[in-house]
Amino acid sequence: MIALEDVTKRYDSLTAVDGVSFEVPSGEVCVLIGPSGCGKTTTLRMINRLIEPTSGRIVIDGRDVMGIRPEELRRHIGYVIQSVGLFPHLTVAENVATVPKLLGWERSRYSPRVLELLEIVGLDADEYAKKYPRQLSGGQAQRVGVARALAADPPLLLMDEPFGAVDPLTRERLQAEFARIQRELGKTVVFVTHDVDEAIRLADRIALMRDGRLEQYDTPEALLDHPASKFVHDFMGADRALKRLGRARVADVMTSDVLSTTDGTGGVSRESCKEARFFYLTDDEGTLEGWVDCHVLDAGTSPEEAGTLVDWREAAVQPDTTLKEALSRMLGLGFRNVAVVDERGRLLGEVSLSAIERTMAEGDAHIANLPEGEILGVPPEEGVPPEARAQLDEGVQPEEGEVTT
Amino acid sequence: MALAGCLLLPFVEFRPNRIASGVPEGFAVAGLSGWLLVAAAALALISAFLPARSRGPALLGTGAATAILLLSALGSAAERLQEGAPVIARVSIGSGAWLAAIGAITVWFAGSRATGSVRVNRAVSVIALLAGLAVMLWGSVGELSLAKEYAVQSRRFWMLVRQHLVLSGAGLGAGMLIGVPLGVLASRSRVVRDFGLGVVSVIQTIPSMAMLGLLIAPLAALGLTAIGTTPAVIALALYALLPIMRNTFVGLAGVDPATIDAGRGMGMGRLQLLFRVEVPLALPLVIEGVRAAAVLVIGIAAVTAFIGAGGLGILVFQGWGQQADDLTLLGAVPMVVLAVFADAAMRMLRRLAVSPGIEEGGLS
Ligand SMILES: Nc1ncnc2c1ncn2[C@@H]1O[C@H](COP(=O)(O)OP(=O)(O)OP(=O)(O)O)[C@@H](O)[C@H]1O
Ligand SMILES: [Mg+2]
Repeated sequence: MIALEDVTKRYDSLTAVDGVSFEVPSGEVCVLIGPSGCGKTTTLRMINRLIEPTSGRIVIDGRDVMGIRPEELRRHIGYVIQSVGLFPHLTVAENVATVPKLLGWERSRYSPRVLELLEIVGLDADEYAKKYPRQLSGGQAQRVGVARALAADPPLLLMDEPFGAVDPLTRERLQAEFARIQRELGKTVVFVTHDVDEAIRLADRIALMRDGRLEQYDTPEALLDHPASKFVHDFMGADRALKRLGRARVADVMTSDVLSTTDGTGGVSRESCKEARFFYLTDDEGTLEGWVDCHVLDAGTSPEEAGTLVDWREAAVQPDTTLKEALSRMLGLGFRNVAVVDERGRLLGEVSLSAIERTMAEGDAHIANLPEGEILGVPPEEGVPPEARAQLDEGVQPEEGEVTT
Repeated sequence: MALAGCLLLPFVEFRPNRIASGVPEGFAVAGLSGWLLVAAAALALISAFLPARSRGPALLGTGAATAILLLSALGSAAERLQEGAPVIARVSIGSGAWLAAIGAITVWFAGSRATGSVRVNRAVSVIALLAGLAVMLWGSVGELSLAKEYAVQSRRFWMLVRQHLVLSGAGLGAGMLIGVPLGVLASRSRVVRDFGLGVVSVIQTIPSMAMLGLLIAPLAALGLTAIGTTPAVIALALYALLPIMRNTFVGLAGVDPATIDAGRGMGMGRLQLLFRVEVPLALPLVIEGVRAAAVLVIGIAAVTAFIGAGGLGILVFQGWGQQADDLTLLGAVPMVVLAVFADAAMRMLRRLAVSPGIEEGGLS
C-alpha cells in the first residue's frame, strides 16, 4: 500500500503540488489525471524521490520513503518515464536487465527473466533481444520501457504517460495488454495520463488533479456518476454513458453460443441457422474466415450469396476489447453482432448490441435513481439521455431492420 | 589535376649534387611507366564523368593505380637520369609529381567515399599497399634523393621516429588524463565550464614557439629547465587539452536528459550513471577529440626539436639549415604518415569501442 499525506512541492513562487493526500491499496491501479501542468509528474516523481517534497509524507508499506536511500528505493520501484528514455547504446535485452544488474543479480538469473519479460509485453524475444532502441517503432519502444520497469518484479510501478507517444490503434493494444499484464501480476500501480478514456479503462481509482490540488479521488464510476465539482464533470466529458462502456470488456458480455462450420458456405442452410443472425465460417484451426448472414438467407438467396469473407483483424473484436471499441466496430460494420476471436483469430463467440445496451441500461438506471441535485452543475437535460443511444439508432437502424435476440 | 601535374610541370629535378639547384625534367624521362602514369591519370579524369553508379569504383581504382604508378615512375625516372652521372648526383621529386600525388590521393578518397563499402575500400587499400611495397622493393625508388637521404640517415631516422612517437604519445596521454576529467567536471559545474574552457581555449591560441618560451618562467619556478623532453611533453599536453576537454564536455552535455532521468529512475548512483550511461553515449565525441588532439600533437611535436626534445623536427630543421630539401622531406613525410596512422587508429578504436546502437551506420 502507498499513502501520500498532505504532500506539497513548491518551486520559488509556484506551488506545483499542493497538500495532496490519497492512498492506493496494494494491487490497485491509481490513475493520476488532469490538465497539463497540474502536477501529475511532480506527484509521481516524489514517490520515488526523484523530486523531494517540500512538506508532507509519503509512506510505502508502512515505511516513510525519506528514510530509504534514494537509489535503493528506486531499484525496488518500477518506473516508466514520460518519454520512454531507453538507453540508446544498450540492446533491448541490456535495457531490460538494467535494474536486475544494479541489484547484483547473476546473469543466469536475469537472462531468462529478460526473455520472459519480452514475451510478457508481447515482443518476440528472439527477434528483439539483440536490437537497439533506434531499430524499434514507438510502440515497441514503449513495450520495452514497460518490460524494463517490470524487470526486477517490483511490487510498485510508476508509469508516466507510458502510452503517450503512439498512434491510437497501438495505444489501444498497449492498454489492452497492460490490463492483461496487470490482471496477471497484480502490481500496485500509479499511472499518469491526461487521456480520460485511458484512465477510465485502466483505473481502479482515479485521482483528478487541478493546479496542484486533488479535485476528486474515487472510482471511475463515481467520477462519472457523482462528480464532486463542475470541473470534474467537465473534465470527464459529456458522453459519460459511452465512457462507461470504456470500462467494460467484451469478455464480460460476450456469448460463446454461436454457430460455426469448417465446411465453408456448403455447411450452412436456412434450417441450420435457427434463431441466429450469423453462421460463422472458420478454417480447421478455428480461425474466423467469414460468415453467412442468416437474414439474407431467409430472403431466399443461396448460402454462397449470403456469405462474406473477412479479415478477422478488421471484422472481429477480442475479449480484451472495451465495449466502447466493440460498439464502434459494430457501427463501422453496420451489424448488431460482432464476432469475438482470440489473438490468433480463432472464433470464441460473439457480442451483440443488445448485450451492450443492457450494460448501458444498468448505468442509466444507476443515474436515473439519483436525486437530481447530486450531479453538480449539470443541467438535467444534458445529464441524463445517453448520446450514445441516439448515435446507435442513427448508425445501425437504416441498414439492419429487425433485431434478433 | 594529376594529369595537368604530369604534363605541364617538371616531373623530377636532376641535380649534380645534393644541394645544387636542379634541372627540371618532364614525365617522359620515366619511359614506359611515365606513359602508363599519364594513362591512369587520364582514366581517372574520365571516371569523374561516369554515371553515379559506376563512378565510385572507377575513381577508387584509377586513383589507387595512379598513386602506385607514380611511385614506380619516379623510380624509373631517377634511374634513367642517374645513368652515367656522378655518384653524388641526386634526383628529387618535382612539383609535377607532387601535384600528381595530391591529385591521385584526392581521386582515391573521393572514390572511396562514393563507393561507401568498407569491404571494397579495405580491399583496394590492401592491394595498393602490396603493390606499393612491391614497387619499393623491386622498382628503382631507392634511386630517388629522398631514399638516398634515408639510406644515409637510417639509424638516426628510426631513433627520431621513436622519439617523435614518445613525445606525442606522452603529450596526448597527459592531455587525456587531464582533459577527460576536466570535461566531466565542466559538464557538472558551471564554474569549471566557463572558466576551464575559457583558459584552455586561450592556451590553444598561443603559437607553439611562443608557448615554449612562455613555459620557461613557470618551469623555472618549479626548478625545471625549459630544455628537453619534460617541457616539450607539457607543451604538447596543453595543446591536446582543448579538443579533448571540449569534446568530452560537449559529448556529455549532448546526452538526452530523458536518458539520464531514466538512469536515475532505475536507481543508478552518480558514478554508475556516469560510467554506464553518460560516458558510453559521449564516447564518439570523446574519441573524436582525442583523434583531433593526436593529429595536432604529432604536428606540433616537430617544433619541440628547438628545445632539444628531439623528434622528426630535427631532420626538418637540419634540412632547412643545409638547404637540403630532401632531408627536410625525410622528416616531414614520416610526420604526415604518423598523423595519418594515428587518425586511422582512432577511427578503428571508435568502431570497436562505440556501441553500434548510437553509431551512424553501426547497424547493418
Ligand atoms: N523544476 C521545476 N522548477 C519550477 N517549476 C517546475 C519544475 N518542475 C515542474 N514545474 C512546474 O510545476 C507544475 C507541474 O508540473 P508537472 O510536470 O508535474 O505537470 P504535469 O501534470 O505532469 O503536466 P504534463 O501533463 O504536461 O506532463 C508546472 O506548472 C511546471 O511548470
Ligand atoms: Mg507530466
